[in-house]
Amino acid sequence: MSKARVVIVTCSRNFPDITRPDPGLILAMLKKGFQALGGAARAEDALGQWFRPGEIVGLKVNTIGRRALSTSPETALALGLWLGQTISGQENIIIWDRTDEELKDAGYKLSTSPDSLKIFGTDNRRAGYQSEPTAHRHLGSLFSRIQAEFIQASISLALLKDHGLAGVTAGLKNYFGAIHNPNKYHDSNCDPYIAELFETKPVREKHRLTILDALRVQYHRGPSYHPQWLAIARKLIFSLDPVAADTVGWKLIEELRAKKGLPSLKEEGREPGYLMTAEKLNLGQARLENIEIIEEEV
Amino acid sequence: MDRRDFLKCSLSGCSLCLLPWLSASGNFLASGPLPGAGLSRVEARYYQKLPDREIKCNLCPRFCQLGDKERGFCGVRENQDGKYYTLVYGQVASLNVDPIEKKPFFHFLPGSEAFSLATAGCNLSCKFCQNWEISQMRPEQVKNISLLPEALVASCERYDCPVIAYTYTEPVVFFEYMYDSSLLARKKGIRNVVVTAGYINPEPLADLLRVVEAIKVDLKAFNQNFYREYVRGELQPVLQTIKQIARSGTWLEIVYLVIPTLNDNPSEIRDMCRYLKNEIGPDYPIHFSRFQPMYLVKNLPPTPVSTLEKLREVALAEGLHHVYVGNVPGHPGENTYCPKCGKLIIERYGYVIRKREMSGNKCRYCGQVISGVWS
Repeated sequence: MSKARVVIVTCSRNFPDITRPDPGLILAMLKKGFQALGGAARAEDALGQWFRPGEIVGLKVNTIGRRALSTSPETALALGLWLGQTISGQENIIIWDRTDEELKDAGYKLSTSPDSLKIFGTDNRRAGYQSEPTAHRHLGSLFSRIQAEFIQASISLALLKDHGLAGVTAGLKNYFGAIHNPNKYHDSNCDPYIAELFETKPVREKHRLTILDALRVQYHRGPSYHPQWLAIARKLIFSLDPVAADTVGWKLIEELRAKKGLPSLKEEGREPGYLMTAEKLNLGQARLENIEIIEEEV
Repeated sequence: MDRRDFLKCSLSGCSLCLLPWLSASGNFLASGPLPGAGLSRVEARYYQKLPDREIKCNLCPRFCQLGDKERGFCGVRENQDGKYYTLVYGQVASLNVDPIEKKPFFHFLPGSEAFSLATAGCNLSCKFCQNWEISQMRPEQVKNISLLPEALVASCERYDCPVIAYTYTEPVVFFEYMYDSSLLARKKGIRNVVVTAGYINPEPLADLLRVVEAIKVDLKAFNQNFYREYVRGELQPVLQTIKQIARSGTWLEIVYLVIPTLNDNPSEIRDMCRYLKNEIGPDYPIHFSRFQPMYLVKNLPPTPVSTLEKLREVALAEGLHHVYVGNVPGHPGENTYCPKCGKLIIERYGYVIRKREMSGNKCRYCGQVISGVWS
C-alpha cells in the first residue's frame, strides 16, 4: 500500500501582520506546496494533474470565526486568482461558505460578477439549499446548491482548529458548512457524521484537494477564538488524501498543546475518532505510519 | 384521498386568511419579504455559564455544551460571547387556525379552534418527520414573521380562538416565547396547549406545567434502539415527561405514530400499554396514527389500517379506556366510546364532531364521568 502524501509548507519569514498575511508570500507557499505534492517541476504542472481547464472549482472556506479566526481571505484569494489564471479562468472559481454575512465578517468582499472570481454564501439569492434532502447512512441533509450543483471540483480550504467536541476541525469537518443542519451532527464527538458526510456523493465525487490554513492555530478551547491559546504557526498543509491531511493537522495541534503543557486530546476524551471512521470507510489514511510527511520552507 | 388532500378538505372550514401574510393554503407562510422577519436576540433560560465563554444548556436532556457562536442541536439557541440566546422569540414560521382535533386533542374542548403556531427548530431529528421543512431548519432558512406575545394573544382574540396551540415543530425549543405567551394568554382567558415529543428536562417542564392546560406527547416508540436510530434521542426522558405531566394534573394525550416494520410490534405495544396503565392510569387517551412516507423514510408504505386496528385492540385489551385510530378519516376508531356502557358518545369524521352524547363531563347514557377537559 502506498503512503498518503502530506506536504507542510512553513513560512520562515515573519509576517508583519499575521492577521493580514502578505499575498505574495502566501502565493509562494501555495506554489511550493502544490509542487511538492504533485512531484512536479512547476506548481502549474501539478495543478494540471488535478483540475481540467474550464472546470468550475469551489474553494470551501471556514468563516465562522469572523476576521479573528477564519480561513484567511489572503490565502483564499491568492489560491483562487492563481488557479483561475492557470487552469480554470477566474470566472470559474467560487470562494464560498454558509452565509454572505459570515464571509464579510471574516474579511471577504462579496463578488457575483459573471466575469470574475466569485465570492458568496449559500444564503445568497443566487444559491440556496437544495429542496430535497440527501440521505446517507446516519445523515439527512439539504446540500448547498454551490456544492451540489454549481461546482465541478472542490478544494476544502479549511482552518485548522481545536474543537471542543470533534477534537479537531479541519478539512473534513469543513464540509459541515455545505449542509443546512450541521447542528444535528455534533453529538458523539461528531463521529461518524464527519466521515459519513464526506462520503456523500456531492462531496466525495467533487473533492480534489485539502489545504489547511495553519498560519495561526487555535490549539485549545476551539473552535471559538481565544487569543491566549492561539499559536502563530505560519504553515499551510496540503494533501490529496483528506483523512491524512486532517491527521497531520491533529498531530500539529497535539505538538502545540504539548509545548504549552496541555493534556492531549485523548487525555481530554476528545480524540478525533472520526478520522479512524473515515479510514474504515476507505476515505483515506488515519495512521501516521501510513502517511509520508514532506516538510518545505518558503 | 391522500393525507394532504384530507388536510386541505378539513381545513376548508377554517379561517384561512387570518392575517394578510398567510398563504392561501393556510400552511406555510407566503413567499416574499415579510415585515419584522429576522432572528431574535432574547436571553435564553435554563443555561449555565462556563469558563472561557462556554455555556451549558439545561433545557433538554441533550445538555448541549457550546462555545462562542455555536448553536445547540435544536439550531435555534446560540451562544453569543458567553451568553445564550433564543433566536426564535416571536419568530413564527407557521401559523394557522386548526381544529383542536388536528393536534390531536380528543378530550380537550372538542370542536374548538386552536390558534396554532410554530417557530423553526427541533431538539430531535426524526427520520420520518412530517414537518421537516420547518422543524429541521434553522430560523434563517425559513420564512418568519415577527409576532411577539402581545401581538400573538391579540391576534388570537381577534379570531375568537379559545386556545393557543404551540405545535408543528418542537415547542420546547422556543420555550421562552411559549412560556411568556401562555402567561399573557391566560390573563385573557385563553387556554394553552402544547404538542411536543416530550424531550425536556424536569425543571423547565415543571415551570411550563404551571402555565399550560394540556400537553400532547408524541411517544415515538417503546424501544430505546428506535429512539437512538430513528429519532436521535432517548426514550427514558420522554417517559419521565409523561409521568410528570400526568402527576401535575395538566391534561395529557399521547400519540403514537405507527411506522410499518419499525415500531409496530404488537408485543412491544402491549408492554407500552401496560407501562402506561401502571404509571399514569387508563384514562389518558392514546392515538395510534397512520404514518405517511416522508422526509428520510420514503421506502415504507403508509401504515395499513388493519395494523392500526390491531394495535387499538391490543391497547383496549390491556385496559386503556380511550384508544383512537388517527389519520384515517371516517374510521370508527376516531369516535369516543363510554368505557362503562360502551355507547358511542362523540362521533367524529376527521376533525369534525358529528355527534356528541355527553352531559357536561358525563356519558349521557350511563352517567359515567369521562376524563378530559370539556368546558
